Amino acid sequence: MNSLMYDTYTIFWRELKRYKKSRSGVLIRLIQPAIWIIVVGNIFSGTQPLIQSVGFDGEYIEFMAPGVIILTAIFTSIFGGVNTLWDRRYGFMNKALTSPISRSAIALGKMSAISLIAAMQASLILGIALAIGVNFPNPIMIAPIMAIVILFSLGFSGISVMVAATAKSQETFWGMINFLGMPLFMLSPALFPLELLPNWLAVIAKLNPVTYTVLLVRELMTGVSEGGVPILLSLGILFAFVLVMIGLASYVFTREVNKPF
Amino acid sequence: MFSIETKSLTKSFGDVIAVNDVSFSVNVGEIFGFLGPNGAGKSTTMMILTTLLKPTSGQALISEFDVMGNAKKVRESIGYVQQETTVDEYLTGRENLLLQAKLNHIPKNEINSRIDEVLKLIELSDKQHDSVVTYSGGMRKRLDIAGGLLHRPKVLFLDEPTVGLDIQTRRKIWEYIKKIHTEFDMTIFLSTHYMEEADNLCDRIGIIDGGKIQVIDSPENMKNAMGNEVISIIMDDSNNRDSFLSQIKKIEFVKNINEDGEKLTIFVSNGTQVIPKIFQISSDLEIKINTISLTRPTLDDVFLSYTGHEIRDDNSNFNRKREHAKMKRLRS
Repeated sequence: MNSLMYDTYTIFWRELKRYKKSRSGVLIRLIQPAIWIIVVGNIFSGTQPLIQSVGFDGEYIEFMAPGVIILTAIFTSIFGGVNTLWDRRYGFMNKALTSPISRSAIALGKMSAISLIAAMQASLILGIALAIGVNFPNPIMIAPIMAIVILFSLGFSGISVMVAATAKSQETFWGMINFLGMPLFMLSPALFPLELLPNWLAVIAKLNPVTYTVLLVRELMTGVSEGGVPILLSLGILFAFVLVMIGLASYVFTREVNKPF
Repeated sequence: MFSIETKSLTKSFGDVIAVNDVSFSVNVGEIFGFLGPNGAGKSTTMMILTTLLKPTSGQALISEFDVMGNAKKVRESIGYVQQETTVDEYLTGRENLLLQAKLNHIPKNEINSRIDEVLKLIELSDKQHDSVVTYSGGMRKRLDIAGGLLHRPKVLFLDEPTVGLDIQTRRKIWEYIKKIHTEFDMTIFLSTHYMEEADNLCDRIGIIDGGKIQVIDSPENMKNAMGNEVISIIMDDSNNRDSFLSQIKKIEFVKNINEDGEKLTIFVSNGTQVIPKIFQISSDLEIKINTISLTRPTLDDVFLSYTGHEIRDDNSNFNRKREHAKMKRLRS
């Protein structure tokens, strides 16, 4: 167990070192969520009466800001595993696989690095949201919000690491990731209240862990509880999701990297 | 006790047999070389020995640990320097070694002194804080090799350590390998398709071709077994070629003949006496000899005599098809 922690930290350290050296990417990756919050936030400002009908009295942009924070976390973490493919192509993976560290540690190290990076990106988006005038009544809530984003991204990066370990090519990876990322984001109350979704969509949304994360962050940010889901239930579901993803990703990753690339 | 031991090791990818019933053993402290053309099965064997691939059948032991049953122990005993350079470009030289040290569980209090030691050995101390992006190909390779021996493995695997490097850099790498060998007393297993490299570094060589080991011996013994001289002839095509060959075979001192297109390679023990006789036969048969030379045998000649083709000759249709099928399997 001790050595699993040490090995996970080794890989985590390496991933963060690499991330730090490629800083230009940070800004590029912020463009898309920034567009979402600035453009889409204003396009739909006319939906304010709908938002108000479910008990939310702010502007639409304030309603969707937590959604965009989660959008940032989703996409940063689901793209984050792509370097697994490079690692396998350019030998780092073989180097790690012939050393005594466990295969799970490679997956977990990558996932924890990705989740920290995703949280940093999400905090920058939160900064942008505040800069364009989104109201954040209780700034102390930033700590639990970030904790939730880190947890959520840890689970979500598991998807990325699994897909990357299974895919043999960039094309397969991006195909799978786009297939998974967008629907998971759309089928959540990130942009639109859960109560106003058609029934069948609401059922699907309630199976989506993204939903509970959005509800949690929205409640912490705006103080308005929406969708009638208790905080503890949301937290429980989030924790369960993360645990399942850690187990599943370690298993799938280990199985896949033991096959020849 | 052997450092490396394989028993009937076989690896097939579908119906392509990449490694075919390979058995050999490497003594502790030996530099052992696998010599063969691309696609001969060198890398596949090395991937099995380093626990990256599972053999289809047979057994492989590293320091008496089975690569299948005791992979973790094997991984603790080996260093593996891959054919491609695998150092992280974004990291500095020292950070790369630090990563390698952590991956191999070197005790914390020894990491820094070990890194200093290998940096000195490969003469990169003054560049250690530069990003690897700024390193030349030779420097990257040196750093890669340094990473492989940082944890002082019992067996160091070097897969084509100088492929793609210029000749000066190659010689420099050879020096480092020799230095590593004497300083750390490791068993070194290397694969190469450069004769000169095998000749220069290895105590013993296994010649591998088409997935099978053709011969294992020291370079000296191999060359001596050839007879001590080689006559190479390039001649015009002729109908009398077969009788030319059979008559040469009858000459005293001639040990073996290899035909490769218009080129004949004749292994002899007393060349100066054989050459006049060859001229005699060729003028009787009206065969035109274009060039003739008498040299000491090289490993090239050894390779030719065991495999029937030259090591450069790896683009034969058979090998190309084989390689293609194998890579397809590996990638799918």
